[in-house]
Amino acid sequence: MDAFRKIDIDQYDEDRLDASELYEADPRDPAAVLDEAKQRQAAVRSTLARSDIPGALAIVLENAPYGPNVDDAKDVTLQTLLSILNSTKSTEITPAIKALTPDAQDTLMKYLYKGMALPGWGDISGSVLLGWHEKLTEVAGVGCIVRTMTDRRIV
Amino acid sequence: MILLEPHNVIIQNTLSEKLVKPSSLDVAFVDYDGVRFRLSTPEKKTQLLLSMSIRCWDELVKYGALDILGREYGAMLLPQAEPEYNVSMLIDLEQAPQEPDAREAFVTSISLFKRHAYAAPFERAFQTQKELEASGAQGELMQVHYRDEEAIYVQAAPDRVTVIFSTIFQEETDGIFGKVFLQEFVDARRQPSVQNAPQVLYSTREPPLEIRHVPGLRNSEDTGYVTFVLFPRHFAPGVASSTISHIQLFRDYLHYHIKCSKAYMHSRMRHRVTEFQKVLNRAKTEVATGERRTVTGRTMVSR
Amino acid sequence: MSASSVSRAAMSNVLRPYLAAVRSTLTAALTLENFASQVVERHNKPEVEVQTSLEVLLNPLTISRNENERVFIEPSVNSVRVSIKIKQADEIERILAHKFTRFMTQRAESFIVLRRKPVPGYDISFLITNTHAETMLKHKIVDFIIQFMEEVDKEISEMKLSLNARARIVAESYLTAFNA
Repeated sequence: MDAFRKIDIDQYDEDRLDASELYEADPRDPAAVLDEAKQRQAAVRSTLARSDIPGALAIVLENAPYGPNVDDAKDVTLQTLLSILNSTKSTEITPAIKALTPDAQDTLMKYLYKGMALPGWGDISGSVLLGWHEKLTEVAGVGCIVRTMTDRRIV
Repeated sequence: MILLEPHNVIIQNTLSEKLVKPSSLDVAFVDYDGVRFRLSTPEKKTQLLLSMSIRCWDELVKYGALDILGREYGAMLLPQAEPEYNVSMLIDLEQAPQEPDAREAFVTSISLFKRHAYAAPFERAFQTQKELEASGAQGELMQVHYRDEEAIYVQAAPDRVTVIFSTIFQEETDGIFGKVFLQEFVDARRQPSVQNAPQVLYSTREPPLEIRHVPGLRNSEDTGYVTFVLFPRHFAPGVASSTISHIQLFRDYLHYHIKCSKAYMHSRMRHRVTEFQKVLNRAKTEVATGERRTVTGRTMVSR
Repeated sequence: MSASSVSRAAMSNVLRPYLAAVRSTLTAALTLENFASQVVERHNKPEVEVQTSLEVLLNPLTISRNENERVFIEPSVNSVRVSIKIKQADEIERILAHKFTRFMTQRAESFIVLRRKPVPGYDISFLITNTHAETMLKHKIVDFIIQFMEEVDKEISEMKLSLNARARIVAESYLTAFNA
């Protein structure tokens, strides 16, 4: 009877803003993104075998998947990244971060927060992520965290 | 004060006072487990009437409470109790012993009024155990419902006397604290100094085997059962009376210390929260608090 | 150096990266400005609480040590909501943490930035608005939250120890009296 009182009239507002309007959507097809993520995973594996940490990071952080509909690709990318993070010695972290471009550093920060939001998922270790977070903040500064908060292209 | 005392302090103090200087009075007071007392001088200043009301009086009488009270207080015990009370005794101050030591013993004995009433099932059980030694049978399961939903069960066996307390933890916190305490009672027996103490078992929810057949037992999460196993060495002639005084107060002792712990936690939290408050106050910026006046000299007040 | 100070130093070493991450994230989030509601005229509300204008809400971030210890930071244009999940290893720690946080939330008005009710899934929440950021020193607010996180763990484990110690003394005194 009183159902009309519960209607959210704001949803009919012409000026209403949708989450999708906040950023440019990824033009690529989800399947293509997933393929790419898998190719990168293989590439990272071979780079890691040569223990080239900065190289592996650069591969996985370049053009990382974002936006809706690509959850599978995101998971693969996170998995790949975790394999790099978990196998890096603590003394190699800072040089590896310094070798990254500012954009790659921002993407790395996004993934660190994504990992911490999923404790217990895959082989996530809180202390590894926190260690990376601390060193990344030292190198890239608080601005890097601010960009993670403000960038709508969620990884 | 860690251990609770079996005597009633109000009786003790009032009586000692009135022995020195008799005067008329009428006081009502309470003890553990909802026991009510009334101490009054209905006829003259030197004759004190002490009445007691116990919720499980009928059960205690069944197990011989009147015999024990008669043994302890003799002619002082009145055949007819004051209305609204279960049992009364008349204390004639003029008949009290004169020597200080005897007088103190007299006062102490009267202040143990409640303890003696509650001693009945224990004394009977200790006696039954002796009788059973030959026959090998189980004694009667004596139940004393000393509080609304809590009871003491006493049962004699040929080689032991089992005392089971059922107790309710009214709050979740009490229950969790209670478990910690009871676990320590169980563990404490590993200490060499307390190896002679009775064995203690506890369970929450599940009543122990001895009383499982008793109807109306609650087996909710907030119920705890504590079993003491008393062996003959605990009620040998020399120690029986102190064992009784001691074990009677177990439930009150446990709950008293749970409440004490809660009070202590509370004081700690209060302290810690004040400290946090100070830290947060350091964040506040200085605000100029000087009094502001208008030209005519009136004070400005900001609302 | 006593045993307790050694263990405390070891603990703070383990905790340090966690607290450092919370500190830097909070510092990043505490860039607040006055912002009037876009939905209701002449209203000014913490946007993170009303959740009506997507464009002024930022991405919420989680910092975690493990599943049982995490901090959830939800930034917005004029307010930040910080929620903390306190470590609770067993039933006793759970009840102590619950008692402690309840004790604090009941005194929320003197704690200005404390939210009366925690966000679901967390034990305690703070709501820092632009007004707070203007009348208080930002880095000191961060200090307060970090110190709270540090001390609350310590306080809970000390309370637990004292409960166990008390229980032991109580049990021993009671049982020893049977020997007399």
